[in-house]
Amino acid sequence: MISKQWRERLTYAAMSAFVGWHTLAMIIAPAPDASEAIKTLRIPFQPYLSFFKLDNQWDFFAPNVGNGSQLRYIVEDSKGNHHPFVPDRELSWYHPSFFWFRSWFNGIFDTPEMYADAAGAFFCHKHAALHPLAVILLEAAQKDFSPEDQLAGKKPLDPQFVTVTTVKKVECAKS
Amino acid sequence: MRKVVTFGRDFFADVGRAWSQFWFQSSLTSPLEIARIGVGAALLVNYGAASAYLFDFWGEAGFVPRDLVWNDRTDGWVQSVFFYFSAPCQWVAFHVLFLACCAALMLGWRTTWVKWLVLVGHISYAYRAPAIAYGVDKILACLLLILCVGPVGRAISLDRVRAVRAAKLKDLAAVLPPYASPWAGACIRLMQIQMAVLFFYSAVGKLRGDDWWNGDAIWIVFTTGDHYNRFLLDLLASHYWLVNVATYATILIEIAFPFLIWQRRTRPYFLALAIALHLQFAVLMGLFYFSFVMVMGHMSFVRTEWLARLGAAWKRWIGDMEMIYDGRCGFCVRSMAWFLAFDGLRQIRIRDFRTAPSPVVSDAQLEKALYLVLPDGRALPGFEAYRYVVPRVPGLWWQAPFFYVPVLSRLVGHPIYNWIAANRSRLSSLRLGWAVR
Repeated sequence: MISKQWRERLTYAAMSAFVGWHTLAMIIAPAPDASEAIKTLRIPFQPYLSFFKLDNQWDFFAPNVGNGSQLRYIVEDSKGNHHPFVPDRELSWYHPSFFWFRSWFNGIFDTPEMYADAAGAFFCHKHAALHPLAVILLEAAQKDFSPEDQLAGKKPLDPQFVTVTTVKKVECAKS
Repeated sequence: MRKVVTFGRDFFADVGRAWSQFWFQSSLTSPLEIARIGVGAALLVNYGAASAYLFDFWGEAGFVPRDLVWNDRTDGWVQSVFFYFSAPCQWVAFHVLFLACCAALMLGWRTTWVKWLVLVGHISYAYRAPAIAYGVDKILACLLLILCVGPVGRAISLDRVRAVRAAKLKDLAAVLPPYASPWAGACIRLMQIQMAVLFFYSAVGKLRGDDWWNGDAIWIVFTTGDHYNRFLLDLLASHYWLVNVATYATILIEIAFPFLIWQRRTRPYFLALAIALHLQFAVLMGLFYFSFVMVMGHMSFVRTEWLARLGAAWKRWIGDMEMIYDGRCGFCVRSMAWFLAFDGLRQIRIRDFRTAPSPVVSDAQLEKALYLVLPDGRALPGFEAYRYVVPRVPGLWWQAPFFYVPVLSRLVGHPIYNWIAANRSRLSSLRLGWAVR
């Protein structure tokens, strides 16, 4: 049997080890990987950081804010007509889904190879009534918008302040 | 040589004392409990709202195909229970269980194991659909892990209510001392360090960007689609100096916070500044969920003395309340034990009129109903006594809907109370029967 004193010492040592370990993990996780020392330090911590999702950068709006992008798409129907949509307009600021969808849209821009096909399939299904042949996903990348533009009554997403590029054309599955 | 040994021994003893003082000061759990309640509520609302999108975002063939996410993992430690589900009922069952656990975490019911399920669930959702996880999900994972290892559920919780009730069933006058431990102090410290580290890296990251150095960042934030605010842009465009002030103030607060939040004198100001900053994020940028969770993380900086003073001020403001009950009635004693278990601030004094007759209310009156005696000498019987107490005892606020529905509460409450009071001996023996069985 371990004596009470030893049990207390062991408990204290275990608690000390944990707080030391976790504090180091919290500090190392967001540290830039530029130095070899940090890279080496990360090695023993990586499983812990990954498993508990502690591997975060805390780089909100940093280093730069970035101008932002808007997802748009065009549904191409069987008669060759084009129907444009802006999914943002269906979202409400006050519902958590606003940021889920916005983050998903950003995912489509950043890694279309992962997300574009599923997005296209979703929009094909959503507009089944139009008998879509394909969905063309577009990114409207915002340009700089100055205070003078605002005072002149313009809006950041007006045509002259965005550059629209095609992300991917997704063929709709024949039903 | 002996001097060197003595110096070394003293040095390590000093380091050990400093270490203990920094990490392991015995503390109440209340700051962690506030964070627990807030985090549980935030998760419940967020994932409750996600129910309609369960299969779209986290399902097998949703927006984020499972195989792609599985193959895109950075290492094998990135895990999610959703990687292993195959039937839709598994998603639904897990989602329902997770929501129930979030509610239980918020209420502090069976907290010791429920908190781990919430952590597993939250990480699973975040890793299954990394494209939709953003800042708040990362913070939540960090806070949840600290809550999991911490001794939460020991105060402001149903677990505490159950423990107090058990003690009061043996003796209604029993007082269960509040839980305090060095480990609670260590977990509070961990959460504080987490928030300070977050602020530090957030500030350092911003200092590397021209948008922040030039003082234009706040303008750009409000022109993006995520945070577009036309009214605010009009104001900022005509008074652009506000943009510069807001941009530099944000950096200044973020860089100063990790250093000045620790001092006794500066803590209240920096805590207020950090909370004000996040309230602005919520109102002006629509980051309600993120801001709320951040504020809950900041609750770790709330000193337990502040909460104690707040509780004392509340008690003084409400005034003394004495409940007079029938100590011979088993049902009444059990009900009182339940009722008093929710009185965390111990605002209600009790008196058994069988052993200590009241100078204010006669025994004949007390044979008919329980009474509440107020400092001004007023005595409220039965239902009215409970009705008076409910809004004045924070632990009983959840009962307000039952006692304060206009007309209906009194219309239904009075007869129910009167029936129970008239049949209390029968109800007491009924309970006795169960106990015997």
